Amino acid sequence: MGIIDSLTAFQIQLITTLIKFVAILVLALQVPPLMVWFERRAPALFQRRKGPNRVGLFRFRLFGLLQSLADTVKLIFKEEVVPDAANKVFYHLAPVIAMFPALVVIMAVPFGNDFHIGDHLITMSAIRIDSGFLFILALSSIAVYGVAIAGWSSNNKYSLMGALRASAQMIAYEIPLGMSLIPMVLIYQTLDLNQMVLQQEQVWGIFKAPVSFVLFFICMFAETNRAPFDLAEGESELIAGFHTEYNSFKFSQFYLGEYVSMFTLSLICSCLFFGGWQIPFVSYQTLVNLTGYEFIASIIGTIVLLHKAAFFMWAFVWVRWTLPRFRYDQLMNVGWRFLMPVALVNVLITAGVLSFIRFGG
Amino acid sequence: MAELVIFLSFASIMLFSSLMVITRKNAVPAAVYLVITMLCAAALYALMGADFVATIQVLVYAGAIMVLFLFVIMLLNTESDIEHGFQIKGPDFVMIALTVLSFAITCIALMAGKGAVNAPMETMPVDGGNTLAVAKVLFVNYLWPFELASVLILMAIVASIVIAKRDNAGH
Repeated sequence: MGIIDSLTAFQIQLITTLIKFVAILVLALQVPPLMVWFERRAPALFQRRKGPNRVGLFRFRLFGLLQSLADTVKLIFKEEVVPDAANKVFYHLAPVIAMFPALVVIMAVPFGNDFHIGDHLITMSAIRIDSGFLFILALSSIAVYGVAIAGWSSNNKYSLMGALRASAQMIAYEIPLGMSLIPMVLIYQTLDLNQMVLQQEQVWGIFKAPVSFVLFFICMFAETNRAPFDLAEGESELIAGFHTEYNSFKFSQFYLGEYVSMFTLSLICSCLFFGGWQIPFVSYQTLVNLTGYEFIASIIGTIVLLHKAAFFMWAFVWVRWTLPRFRYDQLMNVGWRFLMPVALVNVLITAGVLSFIRFGG
Repeated sequence: MAELVIFLSFASIMLFSSLMVITRKNAVPAAVYLVITMLCAAALYALMGADFVATIQVLVYAGAIMVLFLFVIMLLNTESDIEHGFQIKGPDFVMIALTVLSFAITCIALMAGKGAVNAPMETMPVDGGNTLAVAKVLFVNYLWPFELASVLILMAIVASIVIAKRDNAGH
């Protein structure tokens, strides 16, 4: 403890923040390769095929896990073809814009309870601001620019159609997503995600606001442009939609962004509705007493949270290979005529019940 | 010192992208640069310690309104790029003069009332964060003006729907 005592509070803050940034970044970037493999392996099992199960190390096949490594090498070493008629600046910028928000948003997720080293309070999220929950919503709404700019700058009809679809879909589903979360803010009376998780020690959020969960779950797929909402890249109509003109590493950047934002939304869904890093029926204090260190208890929380998020990652793949893609008018009808009114009524009823409970009617 | 460097870098990006907004020939890059301008404004709010305002700036302007703008522009823009680019004609000089004048007045006002401009930053409450501070001002001190403003916006929405409907009926 000698070294820690000699540092000032600011230095401690700086060092731990840097460590958290690097740790979360490394964690987040491990997800896409794993998911690429899983996304091919899981449907193979659904459809009674083998899937990619060959690439391994020497005699060990490792369930084909090294397929992702082979894919990565292929993507990096492929020749990069840039269309002549593309708007060069925006063409090169788009994949970065698509990837960047996902990597920033994940920094605001509380991976565990705050703990103390000496007298210093260390948070388990790299960015902690008091409206952290809004911060996540705000930055994840930026991601659509990556898709929109990619589609426009490629100077290709199909890409432009994909971009148009993506922005229209984004507007239609952003509103129900935000509205499905207003009841959660009303219930927890805070915008801080870690505070929300702390309040779920006894009862998970899904039991308090089941309708919100259903709305959030549907909008989650629309936000990440995943099937059955992947009309922006609907290959049966638009070749590959917004990324038709992209190849090699730029193409994989879109995929990185998609998988990381899937991971982030899974984490947020677990934090809001499924108790985040809390183990059911075991309080944080019990964990601290058992292990003896706050730090270890927080790390156990991280592992619990990752398991909960893994379930939703599985659900993303599960839904993709179970439900067919919507038709475009159906997508808009579901967004505006069904999700919007349900979300509004949900807010109204939750606010009514809560004000009845809190102020005695 | 670090704060000044961050401020200057964001402010210069903001200036550059605002210039790009008004000089682009094509509307799509102009809209994208406008998004960058808004994001830089959010960064400046955050630098002043107003997390909540910064977040709302990104959520509402960059995340919702500009997506809608970009959508409409891309929908209509397929071949209607303006070929002439940036041209200054007679009446525009009046506009430019007025802009420069208002900019000068703002600068003078800022320099004259330097203490007053800095005051709100120091009165920012630390406990409960600035989400609570904004909520208290909006829903306690200025509840009625706030509600009236929402009625005003509702009127604008209804009016725009009426105009759009009338156009459709005419054709």
